Amino acid sequence: MNPATLTLDAVAFAYNDVPILDDFRLTVGEGEFLCLLGPSGSGKSTLLRLLAGLESPQHGAIRWFGQPIAGPGIDRGVVFQDYSLFPWFSVADNIALAIAKAHPALTKARRQKLAREYLAQVGLEDAADKYPLELSGGMRQRGAIARALALGSPMLLMDEPFGALDTLNRARLQDLLLTVWQSATPRKTILFVTHDIDEALYLGDRVAVLGTAPAQVIADYPVPFDRPRDRRPLFTSTQFHQLRETIADALSADTLAHLH
Amino acid sequence: MNTLTSISTLAEVRAVSSPSMARRGFNALWRWPGKEATLLFMGLLLAWQLGATFFTSAANSLLPAPLRVAQALWESLPELWVGTWSSLLILLPGYLAAVVTGVVAGLWVATTPGLRRAFFPFARVVAPVPPTVYIPYAIALLPTFLLSAMFVVFIGAFWPIFQSAAAGALTVEGRYRDNARVLGLTHREYLCKVVFPASLPHIFSGMAVGLAFAFILLTVAELFGANAGLGRFVQYYADFADYPRMVAGILYTGLVTFLSLSLLEYIRHRALFWLK
Repeated sequence: MNPATLTLDAVAFAYNDVPILDDFRLTVGEGEFLCLLGPSGSGKSTLLRLLAGLESPQHGAIRWFGQPIAGPGIDRGVVFQDYSLFPWFSVADNIALAIAKAHPALTKARRQKLAREYLAQVGLEDAADKYPLELSGGMRQRGAIARALALGSPMLLMDEPFGALDTLNRARLQDLLLTVWQSATPRKTILFVTHDIDEALYLGDRVAVLGTAPAQVIADYPVPFDRPRDRRPLFTSTQFHQLRETIADALSADTLAHLH
Repeated sequence: MNTLTSISTLAEVRAVSSPSMARRGFNALWRWPGKEATLLFMGLLLAWQLGATFFTSAANSLLPAPLRVAQALWESLPELWVGTWSSLLILLPGYLAAVVTGVVAGLWVATTPGLRRAFFPFARVVAPVPPTVYIPYAIALLPTFLLSAMFVVFIGAFWPIFQSAAAGALTVEGRYRDNARVLGLTHREYLCKVVFPASLPHIFSGMAVGLAFAFILLTVAELFGANAGLGRFVQYYADFADYPRMVAGILYTGLVTFLSLSLLEYIRHRALFWLK
């Protein structure tokens, strides 16, 4: 197992006195692709906001390479569901803004050139001068990934980034994310929030299943499939189906427990 | 026989086609979106002409007929043109100064809690004071009429712009704030690259209100002490009871105001292309 880069120890967070996270514990290894799977309202997004430094825990500690997280920083790139790009900047300018923060010494022309290189990585080089309004949802998310990559952060936090896309675009972007992630050394640590079991199993090294609020990790499964993964044979394999059923059972058991 | 048939066919074609063309023309006119507004204008013009015809006592009428006004307008065009420049020389510096200071101060105050606590109650008390009441004092206080008129235009346009910029900065969506924080933007970068563009829709509506105010204050200020300008033109000919010229001046001032607001609307449209 890789050394732990990120540890959450007895983290508690309440919003307007409603507990969202309580005594939450989680450890993430360096270069690990961890999928956080849970139903809506399970506090997944809150967890990600805490890791991004957009919120602070009321109790407990979040340590990132041994240091507590004290606010947002460009050592953690964030991809939101559908609003990562500023609508008043062109796609290239959005990426260039991130580059300017990551490499303040670069000239304007170098930033623009680098922005186009990141856009090429996500297949968006032709849309560099377009504005977010002119792009489809899938293209906007490609831009959001390019921006997170441009920050050069060792960790990516992704909050249901493909949740608003149609099935075909979602599959394409999943493959794109895996390609980008696998081709880089060292690999980035990714925390990927989703409510889609197939997506979690296709992408992750590990799936942490969250129960409804206050959120807890109710089950934690290593995903044993070899990489690079091939969608079709994987989705029809018995092993995949068994794991899928186990996770679905864990989720519905939690839902039922909260009904009573 | 052959020719006859063709002639009759031609006649039939004409007989069939001409009413259908007329109908098509009528339909096009019926669907034309500007028809109500045009009808209203024509109705008003007609009412004006009828009023001028029936309620007048020969030579110098308080209600001059449209054609006489048009003639006065045509004759006064050189004078009105000079007046326009004279007025714009007051309006533009005052208004542009109000735009720059209103936007900068509005965004800055709204995003700084201490300034917000100090200036928002202050603005709530001072902004509603009708700016026209400053005119006599401004004229007494400032060395030239030009400066006092500019100052009054500035005050009139400043508050709506300040308040709309502040409202825009206060209602910047949380998602933009999140993105700015995640990118590690400094406060200054956040103000220039996020708060300012995000507030532009508010700022432009404040600028439109401010421009309308600026025109009101400009013309009122000119009644007090100008030697030229649009408000001055109207006042001058009213003093001589030259009502055709006075009405022409009113119509011309309305046109200038309308064109200025249209220009602002055009700029707004261009600047906010990224809005849905």
